[in-house]
Amino acid sequence: MAAGGIKGLVRAMSRAEGDEVEDLLARLGAAEEALAEEVRRSRALNRIAEAIGAGHDAETLVQTVVDGGVELTGAQFGAFFYNIVAPDGESYTLYSLSGAPRSAFEGFPMPRNTAVFAPTFKGEGVVRSDDITQDPRYGRNAPRRGMPEGHLPVRSYLAVPVITREGAVLGGLFFGHPQVGRFGARAESLMVGLAAQAAVAIESVRAREAAHAELAQRRDAEERLKFALDSGRLGSWELDVETRAYLASDICKANYGRRPDEDFTFDDLVASVHPGDRDRMTAAIEDAIRHGAEYDIEYRVRAPVGETRWVHARGRAAQTADHGGARRMAGVSLDVTERKRAEERQKLLVNELNHRVKNTLVSVQSIASQTLRTTETPEAFRDAFEGRIMALSHTHDLLTQQNWEGASLREIFDFELEAFAARDRIGFDYDRDLQLSPKATVALGMAVHELATNALKYGALSVPGGEVRVVWAVESGETDESPALRLTWTERGGPPVVAPTRQGFGARLLEKGLAGELSAQVSLAYDSLGLACTMRLPIRALEP
Amino acid sequence: MKTLAALKVLVVEDEALVSMLVEDMLSDLGCVVVGPAAELEEALRLAGSADIDAALLDVNLGGRPIFPVADALKERGVPFAFASGYGEAGLSEGHKGATVLQKPFREADLRKVLESLAAQVA
Repeated sequence: MAAGGIKGLVRAMSRAEGDEVEDLLARLGAAEEALAEEVRRSRALNRIAEAIGAGHDAETLVQTVVDGGVELTGAQFGAFFYNIVAPDGESYTLYSLSGAPRSAFEGFPMPRNTAVFAPTFKGEGVVRSDDITQDPRYGRNAPRRGMPEGHLPVRSYLAVPVITREGAVLGGLFFGHPQVGRFGARAESLMVGLAAQAAVAIESVRAREAAHAELAQRRDAEERLKFALDSGRLGSWELDVETRAYLASDICKANYGRRPDEDFTFDDLVASVHPGDRDRMTAAIEDAIRHGAEYDIEYRVRAPVGETRWVHARGRAAQTADHGGARRMAGVSLDVTERKRAEERQKLLVNELNHRVKNTLVSVQSIASQTLRTTETPEAFRDAFEGRIMALSHTHDLLTQQNWEGASLREIFDFELEAFAARDRIGFDYDRDLQLSPKATVALGMAVHELATNALKYGALSVPGGEVRVVWAVESGETDESPALRLTWTERGGPPVVAPTRQGFGARLLEKGLAGELSAQVSLAYDSLGLACTMRLPIRALEP
Repeated sequence: MKTLAALKVLVVEDEALVSMLVEDMLSDLGCVVVGPAAELEEALRLAGSADIDAALLDVNLGGRPIFPVADALKERGVPFAFASGYGEAGLSEGHKGATVLQKPFREADLRKVLESLAAQVA
């Protein structure tokens, strides 16, 4: 039956006892209002509970809790302060506000761990006051001794800690009203319930957000790893030890000459390894699986099309205690063909260098031996020997400058005669310069040194006014001969020359050495006007 | 078995200074120098038909390997030794184990090698 119906009935039944009836009616009215209020609160509570459980983000959730709290308590303002334990003590962050603009708090510092706030932030219990300004705990903390100037006017005060089931204080719910005596025991118990719900909800939202963050982090990490692998051209692979199921990344497949969409099984992998390296590779994999050895191997790979390449594979088998061995193996692979080629080139170069050094040592040995045979005194030996070693050295400088690709004929003369006192008395006459091989450069370099030294000691350059003329030209071959360089060294204005009684090193080198090494025809004419050396050098023996 | 005196030795060497040294050493040992050949064609011609007892071969002849000459000598039964700055590492598979005179070498080293070659001369 409706409440109004009850009132009408009571009024009809008791006309005589007016005062009693009025009193009864008043009490009934209050009960009705209380019931209506309870129903309203109960509905609000359900709505709030639903909203809390709806799975919003933490900010929306806390706003829902604070708004709901204001509605349920009839407070004018409500706030949630977040408990953050900073290294230098607690600090509290305003998280959500209801009934007042955020700007109402902006001018104030965050609440401190004062006598009033401490029970809430420490999770000790509820603080409820009809007039907080009269509370013994109020105003005890310097410097303000109470609310700061301009603070929202709070008399009625209700503060409830928000505590997780594990006892961690997440923060506090605060409600205020400018009038005294607004929050009763009912409001307090409602807020305690709300705080408990809020704690559960905040925790679950946090856990969810943490899980999301971790997932995102993992995704980021995977992205970064993939980026690193890709930019390092590193392929990655995984092998199931029991089933031999093999999983290879796109780059890993590419290292074995496979496209990303192609199947690439463990058998394919083994088959693609060069037969000469295959046993070594399978043995290394078995060793890694059985004994936990580091798998680190380089082998040749025969791709389905194209050339043989080199792959460097590294990996490790993951040991599992329950299994008594490895269950899976994983690792990376890298195409190291370029490095291998570079290593081979380097090895060749080092070998070649060693060969050249050894040959040069033999040349020095030969120069020493022959100089010894053709000089009379230690002083003469030293003089001639040093000169020849320097000549050899100059030729090497020239070749090194040209990356050992050879040098031009004119460059050979210029280098050998660079420190030569009488070089301005040596004239040149030719149409075009000629590029020579390293071998021809060394041989002609020594020949030029011998001619110039002889001229300076005994020939045209040994007296003032003497001159040397160097002329060369390429002669196209006769019908039965290939093209050749004809070079003449002619001395004029020197002392009368006589043929030596025995063949010196220079003459031997020119007449026999060049003849052998460069298939040259060399003649030395001891003309009374001066020495004339004529060389005919086949172009094929000179060119690089 | 022959002695070094008048032993006819084919010399294949493409560097003038080196072949001059080898010629001097061989002359000092009393041998007769055949060549020296600086080119493969000339070396092949001499290896195939010249009157020789033994041969000393530079492994690398202007960038071309000497092994065809060695094969020709083997065919004729002429004992030979390689002279090389590479040592034994420079030999082809077919000639591994052949006598190698490592450059640079002393006259005594050359004598020893020649004596072992002379011992093989029928």
